[in-house]
Amino acid sequence: MWSFSNIANNLHKWLSETFNPTMTLIIEMVLAGVAVIGLFAALGLVLVIMERKVSAWMQIRLGPNRVGPKGMLQSLADTLKLLVKEGLTPNGADKLLFNLAPFVAMIVAMLLMAPIAFAKDFQLWDLNIGVLYVSAISSIMVISILMAGWASNNKYSLMGAMRSGAQIVSYELSAGLSILAVVVMTGSLQVSDIIHSQADGWWIFKGHIPMVVAFITFIIAVTAETNRAPFDLAEAESELTAGFHTEYSGMKFALFFLAEYVNVFIVCAIGATLFLGGWMPFHIGNWTQFNHVMDYIPSSIWFFGKTFFLIFVIMWFRWTFPRLRIDQLLNLEWKYLLPISMINLLIVTAMAILKWHF
Amino acid sequence: MITGSTILFYLLAALTLTCGLLSVSTRQIFRAAIYLLFSLIGIAGIYFWLQYEFIAAVQIVVYVGGIVVLIIFSIFLTQQAGEKLPKQKPGRKIFSALAVFCGFALTMVQVYKHEFDFDKTMVSPTMSNIGQNMLSTKEGGYALPFEVISMLLLAAMIGCIVIALRSKPETK
Amino acid sequence: MFITKYIKDVYKGVRSLLVGMKRTLYYFTHHKEIITQQYPDNRDTLVLPERFKGEVVMPHNENNEHRCTGCQACELACPNGTIKVIFKNELTPEGKKKKAIDKLVYHLELCTMCNLCVEACPSDAIKMAQTFEHSVFDRNELTKILNNPGSKIMEGVE
Repeated sequence: MWSFSNIANNLHKWLSETFNPTMTLIIEMVLAGVAVIGLFAALGLVLVIMERKVSAWMQIRLGPNRVGPKGMLQSLADTLKLLVKEGLTPNGADKLLFNLAPFVAMIVAMLLMAPIAFAKDFQLWDLNIGVLYVSAISSIMVISILMAGWASNNKYSLMGAMRSGAQIVSYELSAGLSILAVVVMTGSLQVSDIIHSQADGWWIFKGHIPMVVAFITFIIAVTAETNRAPFDLAEAESELTAGFHTEYSGMKFALFFLAEYVNVFIVCAIGATLFLGGWMPFHIGNWTQFNHVMDYIPSSIWFFGKTFFLIFVIMWFRWTFPRLRIDQLLNLEWKYLLPISMINLLIVTAMAILKWHF
Repeated sequence: MITGSTILFYLLAALTLTCGLLSVSTRQIFRAAIYLLFSLIGIAGIYFWLQYEFIAAVQIVVYVGGIVVLIIFSIFLTQQAGEKLPKQKPGRKIFSALAVFCGFALTMVQVYKHEFDFDKTMVSPTMSNIGQNMLSTKEGGYALPFEVISMLLLAAMIGCIVIALRSKPETK
Repeated sequence: MFITKYIKDVYKGVRSLLVGMKRTLYYFTHHKEIITQQYPDNRDTLVLPERFKGEVVMPHNENNEHRCTGCQACELACPNGTIKVIFKNELTPEGKKKKAIDKLVYHLELCTMCNLCVEACPSDAIKMAQTFEHSVFDRNELTKILNNPGSKIMEGVE
């Protein structure tokens, strides 16, 4: 049957028959890199048009409807525009760091792709600390924003960078705690283990209310971590022009823009993996017949369906809620999300020990 | 023999050392912090190269996500963008170079003196292994250091609160 | 008690957020609510709202007569000097001199469509029209004379 893992295995077989092992490894690494870059480009195009359409429909507008059929090629036109624009570097900027920052953002986003399981047995690197790896690497993300903010030598950029730093550092806590809830249940940090543990039902259903609370906390925290509205203080247009990327233009701006969308995809993929079973089809306990029907839907469709559903939820947040003030933002984290997720983690631990979950 | 693995090691080591050197020799304080960051990432890379992913991830979480961000924040709050630090006196330079050399020599002597036990089969630590060792009170357990560190953090937290709570002098 | 207040706060907050999300989801799924007008395409069928104000005009009847007495109320009411009334002296059939308007100059480029002149007019001589495609290549064309050439004041309007 046609599947991602079949293609990958056949390719690997063919390559190892044709070349020696070192050559095979190098070719496979290059192929993986190209695939990730291709996925990035596709995600950028799809997510931008999706965001614009979703925002338009939620605000009773039509949205882009001129370029291509129903405006579906709008983001392609935008990309072309960004590609041909001049990438300015301001005179007073720290030129090295200013030009380095967008690439750091992009490299971090690429590194985060490694442990994500896109389909059954289709994963770049199934390392044994998968989830910890994700939260570790995503903490480098803030560095690129701080770098951009400082190197621009601009008040707005610096303010945006500082806000973003405070925000990401504090929301990482509750994101980490809600991830821990799943890790406690599974007893493993490995992504494939976590997915396999959900073969008889996803954690959000198996884990009763505490898991739902953890899921909601996770979604709120990652919305804040990716600097999206209602937590977009780092680039609050009405206050800070464009925050940390005020001075960026052309392709360097496009890289930040793309990194933002790719990060949204990644956090949603992680959320789908942890709480909604990743590529695991929707199974209910002992209903063999039902489970069998569900298995006919390819695993990649399950994964992308769940991920895009979460992306839609995050977009839904963005176009519904007004932006928070900085004190409200920190109140929400330190007075509400953190205590709630700590108590929730205690309850989840008790459940895991007493085997109260299904 | 040169294999891909050794090439990778030398690349990572070169990254770590160059960035470390640059971080002490640059005259822009923010760049120093960023070079330090890349140097720490290089060390994390070496841990990944050794296939101790857990330590590598912890290295990134603690040093990159925590300490460097803290350093950058203190730079943001105290320094001005685009300014260069004053040049150091030659005496100071020589002294710090000497101190670095002494520390380096001491470490190298210790490394060469130590008999490394290569016979032990390497175990890739699993999650439950790490967790159990972290909280075990038996020999080789880390319960005591863990608690001592948490005491340190508690003291730091109390200090912060005391500083923040310092009452303002009453105005008439 | 503190804890009950805390839980109540969380409950209220979540509920109000959900109400907002329900509204946007309704708009997201009901595309017939969309209010966007695709203007140049629907130019022929475009229906403007009743109260839309495009420019000031002075209606004339079929005998080329208007209702303006030249009382200058509109000129005084205008907040930014958009309207200027220029007079001429006319001879009535009895040989008496009578003041009448020569030109009512209207600067469209200054007008904010505030409607104060229309409200100030005691004889309903001017009103707001719904035309809005005002772009021209020469800005002098935006200075308009509202009364038609050779027009007269209507009988019986004082």
